[in-house]
Amino acid sequence: MEFNIINPVSVKELLGAVKKEKHFRFGAGCTDLLMELRKKPDEGLTVINLAQVKDNSFTGIKKSAKGIRMGAMFTAHQIVMNEELKKTFPVLHDSAHNLASTQIRQVATVGGNLCTASPSGDIACALVALRADCELLNTTQKTRMVNISTFFTGVRQTALKPNEVLYGITIPANHKNTKNNYSGFIKVGTRRSMECSVVSLAYHIQVNVEGKILKAGVAIGASAPTVRLAESACKFLIGKTFKNITQKEKEEFADKVLSYASPITDIRATAWYRKEVLYNISKSIFE
Amino acid sequence: MLPKNYLQKKFEKMKPKLKVIGTSVPKQDAGTRVTGKAIYGHDIKLPGMLHGAILRTEHPSAIIESIDTSAARKLEGVYCVITADDVDVNNIGYKRDHPILKKGEANCTRDEIAAVAAQTKEIAKQALKLIKVKYKVRKGIYDVQEALKEQAPQINKFISGKFSNKNIAETFHYEHGNLEEEKKKSAHIVTRLFTLPRMTHACMATSNVTASYNTLDKKLLLYSSTQVPFLYQRDMAHALKMNPSDIRVIQPIIGGGFGSKLDIHPFEPICALLSIKTGKPVQILYSREEEFIASPIRQPMEIELTAGVDKDGNFTFREINIVKDNGAYTSWGATTPFVIMQSFSSLYKLKACRFNATAVYTNNVFAGSFRGYGNPQATFALERVIDLLADKLGMDKAEIRLKNANEKGEVTGQGLHYDTCGHKDCLETVIKKSKYHSFRNTNNGALRNTNKNESTNNGSRFKKGIGLASMLHVGGGAKIYRSDGCGTTIKIDPYGYCTIITGSNEIGQGSETVLAMMASEELGIDLKKIKVINTDTDVKPWDVGVHASRTSFVAGNSLLGAIKILKEKLNKKAGELLKSDNTAYEYENGNIYPLRNTNKNESTNTENKASKLTKEIANTDSYIRNDSDFVKLDKVVREMHFTEPNELAVANFFYEPSSKFQDKDFKGNVSGSYAFAAQAIEVEVDTYTGNVKVTDIYVAQDVGKVLNPLLLGGQIEGGILQGVGYALTEELLMHEGKILNPNFHNYKMLTAADIPNIHFFPIETNDKEGPYGAKGVGEAPLIPTAAAIANAVCNALGLEVIDLPITPEKVMKALASKNTETIQTKNK
Repeated sequence: MEFNIINPVSVKELLGAVKKEKHFRFGAGCTDLLMELRKKPDEGLTVINLAQVKDNSFTGIKKSAKGIRMGAMFTAHQIVMNEELKKTFPVLHDSAHNLASTQIRQVATVGGNLCTASPSGDIACALVALRADCELLNTTQKTRMVNISTFFTGVRQTALKPNEVLYGITIPANHKNTKNNYSGFIKVGTRRSMECSVVSLAYHIQVNVEGKILKAGVAIGASAPTVRLAESACKFLIGKTFKNITQKEKEEFADKVLSYASPITDIRATAWYRKEVLYNISKSIFE
Repeated sequence: MLPKNYLQKKFEKMKPKLKVIGTSVPKQDAGTRVTGKAIYGHDIKLPGMLHGAILRTEHPSAIIESIDTSAARKLEGVYCVITADDVDVNNIGYKRDHPILKKGEANCTRDEIAAVAAQTKEIAKQALKLIKVKYKVRKGIYDVQEALKEQAPQINKFISGKFSNKNIAETFHYEHGNLEEEKKKSAHIVTRLFTLPRMTHACMATSNVTASYNTLDKKLLLYSSTQVPFLYQRDMAHALKMNPSDIRVIQPIIGGGFGSKLDIHPFEPICALLSIKTGKPVQILYSREEEFIASPIRQPMEIELTAGVDKDGNFTFREINIVKDNGAYTSWGATTPFVIMQSFSSLYKLKACRFNATAVYTNNVFAGSFRGYGNPQATFALERVIDLLADKLGMDKAEIRLKNANEKGEVTGQGLHYDTCGHKDCLETVIKKSKYHSFRNTNNGALRNTNKNESTNNGSRFKKGIGLASMLHVGGGAKIYRSDGCGTTIKIDPYGYCTIITGSNEIGQGSETVLAMMASEELGIDLKKIKVINTDTDVKPWDVGVHASRTSFVAGNSLLGAIKILKEKLNKKAGELLKSDNTAYEYENGNIYPLRNTNKNESTNTENKASKLTKEIANTDSYIRNDSDFVKLDKVVREMHFTEPNELAVANFFYEPSSKFQDKDFKGNVSGSYAFAAQAIEVEVDTYTGNVKVTDIYVAQDVGKVLNPLLLGGQIEGGILQGVGYALTEELLMHEGKILNPNFHNYKMLTAADIPNIHFFPIETNDKEGPYGAKGVGEAPLIPTAAAIANAVCNALGLEVIDLPITPEKVMKALASKNTETIQTKNK
């Protein structure tokens, strides 16, 4: 495994490098990239190492009236340790907490998890359920916003253009009338750590004081070529009272979630198993 | 998780008089290891050293039509390229059926076709790519039944063909009692066919060897991770056509053995050959992927077990037919039926047994030895069938086990002598501690809400179950080689420091710490002043190696024998210096105290009824020690060395266990003592995902005597997690001879996060053969684990488990078609 590496220390230098380099890949935490390059060496490749970029906009977290913005280099560990995120978006906290191991979470970044665009990306799944927006910055220093659902275009493919870098992710604030939301991340696998999701389900269901559902985001992982938002299942929930969801409604909801799944059979599980389990864990949200 | 100090608390009352033995002394090399200062094989760098790499076959079964190494030889930085045509060597392996480099055909995905020595690892790898091999691909045989068909081609051409079928590598037959008679007496008979998977050791340190051949004196130095240095020296010499004494084996710190380093593997003589050819040191290190592909596995097998029970619940007979997938070559793994038959013939009282095992060649990867040596497979089948027999009888599953449990003084049908036996104690302990009966009685879809993401408040999703299993294993070595003994040389220097030169070796199990503790106990020397030398075949005396849970037992007894001789010398000189005619002395704090006997009947050593070799000092009231009446140990040694008649404070001892070779019918008392254990395991099965969560494991193990609670706890915890992996997650998946998951990503070895609550209860039976009464403990913790987990899953779901591992997918398939009543669906 050999590659050239350049280490920009500011966003400006980073954009300069993107402009200059012809054959490059971004390296954030490099937890996926190094494994990939070991398997498939890429001759003449330059890795633009993002880990030395110091700009707070790229590494930090900021709260505003609109929501919370994380820089692309915000790490999984930082997500886990952030009390505000834990309180406001439990689904994100859970997804980061279930990611790999303590050691890997120190370097793995939210941007890396998104740009790898794995169908089983855990943080990605949570952010889809949260309906986050991706902020893409190009070499002319212009930004554009792309909703996360359209950011993923296929297995390991994203909407990023060759002259763009993922700059930050903004999670919209919760509905102002919500209280005690139902939010969590269900990861199915064989081990309790160092595990890649066999199936995952992220949900962020916002309810008002009476428990009536105002907004819902439900996303599935490792069940389709990309992480998917189960929009019809989300709509189905609006207006219902969370605690009063009937067995029949639960099943209807699970069926709707399942309609977004088109899983594959691989070494870790069959398509049959993934569907079976996805249906079950979808119901389990209300149990 | 384990409560802090749980071991100390548990063992507080078990050390009445001993001062060091029975205390939690950390491993002597713990600090070195955790600070990264340990020197593993990977850290060795010799001047001018080259790097070796091996080209393996592209196809598990193929004719090798030609090998062109010319381009590789021309590459700058390449010193040597070898193929089978370039070397004059013998085959390796237990049956000598394994060529080091393959010629003419490839029969296994691991097959070594060529090897390179080059200046750097990168050049070596590049050179491998330049080697052109022409293959004619064959279909290959990956199923034992296919291999046994008449039209199947012969897979291994190096065997004599003494068996009925050309693809049979080895057979075992054993029987005792009148099987037909016992069948007639049986009220119920159960037959099941069980399938066991390939599991790999996954040692944290990958395989490695460094060879340095001296072209002047024609001697070979090897830095190797072998578990059996003297057998390794012999096998290496045979392979290379050398004199064994011209080969020196040094063991650097070993990062995991678990049996994987019992056999010699082709990469080791290949590395030696590269060094011999180049006259330079050569090192071969495996990558993690190579480790998964080319290191041994636990032998996969099909076990058909028929067992009977009479109307009162007494076991009557067992009939066993085992077909093992031998892979392409025969390793020590083929001899696991020695141990397997022991469990079938002698675990629980049994009147009649007939046992057949056949190892069949295929084009799959071959096995090796693995902690438990066939016993986890045997115990899984046996303990599963015991549950089924209990169900047929309508008898309680704990009761049927207690009724048939082995007892002290029993001589089994196979001729094993149970001089001590904690079988019943172990079973009773886990039954009581796990509240086995109240658990089973209240288990009606009970729920435990443990994790927000895994559990809900719906009573039907999580099913709890509890399972029991026990085990028998050798606890005092196993006489399978001409000697199961161990030699020791002990010396004390003029400054009062002690050096133990032992034949045994350390592969991480903590034996050197336990040996140092014994010397400290007996000689009153501080542990910091005791060194253990155990890594060099040029220095140390004979020992058969680390296997069969034997090291503390055999090397311990050997050391105690040497100490006894040394003390006689020291006592004599101390008596002279103290102008005393005492015969009893106490060694403590670097001093020797004469003891005065106040009791006329001379009863000595009432506390230590266990070993003949341990402490002869008296701890009874009849002896009196005057604390101001002593001579310093180092002074005694100086006086021995430097005054006439000038004697060294050195002693040698060779200990050979009392065990016997088994006869040709596999009967005889093969071990110096026997270890027993029982486990009760609670599981919670998630019927939404099929995940089996092991919540609590209650372990009782007859360890004879606890020598070091901390190290014992380590063996128990590590073994159990390996057992849980065998039960639930670990399997090397293969398709047509190729390994599909050669990485930790898809080979699901469990992590620290998966450790269940472990409740450990040591049972002390004080075996008179063992050092301080101790038995071997290393393998036992993992042996009954898969069996108990399978029984617990069956209890939880009302289904049958007939193969391992019990993956979530298999559970879901079984739940989806509950009428089939078996969890066997292969998810491949």
